[in-house]
Amino acid sequence: MSQNFSGNINSFNISNNFTTVDQRSEILAWLSPLEPRLRHQDIRTRRVDDVGDWLLQTDQFRNWCDVTGQDEFDKAVLFCYGNPGVGKTHMR
Amino acid sequence: MLTSHDFSSLVIDTLCDRAREQDFAVACFYCDFTAQNEQSPTSTLGAVLKQVVSGLKEIPEEIMQAFEDQKQAIGGRGLRLPEIVKNLQTISSSRHTFICIDSLDECVPEHRVKLLDSLKSIIQKSPGTRVFLTGRSHIRSEIEKRLGGRILSLLVSPNEDDIVKYLRARLEEDTTPEAMDDSLESDILKSIPESVSEMYVGGVI
Repeated sequence: MSQNFSGNINSFNISNNFTTVDQRSEILAWLSPLEPRLRHQDIRTRRVDDVGDWLLQTDQFRNWCDVTGQDEFDKAVLFCYGNPGVGKTHMR
Repeated sequence: MLTSHDFSSLVIDTLCDRAREQDFAVACFYCDFTAQNEQSPTSTLGAVLKQVVSGLKEIPEEIMQAFEDQKQAIGGRGLRLPEIVKNLQTISSSRHTFICIDSLDECVPEHRVKLLDSLKSIIQKSPGTRVFLTGRSHIRSEIEKRLGGRILSLLVSPNEDDIVKYLRARLEEDTTPEAMDDSLESDILKSIPESVSEMYVGGVI
């Protein structure tokens, strides 16, 4: 109840031409209930610093990442493949 | 354990750092075979659209309108896949957009086909879009076929340096450091990377 009330105040104070903070988060939640950024946070905190940095120096990555030149369909996709569980048996 | 997640999260962080300087959008998604049911192409790209929209100052009018319209439906309804794709095409045409999807091989094959087809139509409409994908090598030909044209591909496996850094970090977390002495530690740091790199002869190092 109190939440509804404060929601009303919020939309009352701000012009109807703009989305309120509440409405904005309601629309975002409607677009998707999933939170991949939370998963990303979880993974990055377990990542060891500097591991895999060489990938960022490869021609493929640099070429793919460069958006300053002409848009080329040919370099729109970078696929990194491998065995995702490398060291599974070695690194328990 | 080192996995493709480590490489994906590194790439995503690097892009996010650059996005703060240059104005572009970054969206990520981690496929997970334990969540296959909830990771349909619609929900995957819906989550991508959400991240892209959350970076905009104002929510696009079309999305606002669709949000209002769906309230008329009983119980409401989410955007359908073609609508999600259309919105991503529109936004990425005016703002460089990086879409990163990790572990595509963990996605249900039928879902993956639709997902790749959707990504293709986004790129075709908006060639400034960049898509980063990871997955096991057996899906490489499928990706090439579905996305058409040439794609950049890169064999990714941890090199010896990565493995040493990783082991060092894990050894520092050891809860029983008294069991470790210098010679054991140097043995570990020497023998494990050797045996791992033997498994990856020809890898990108």
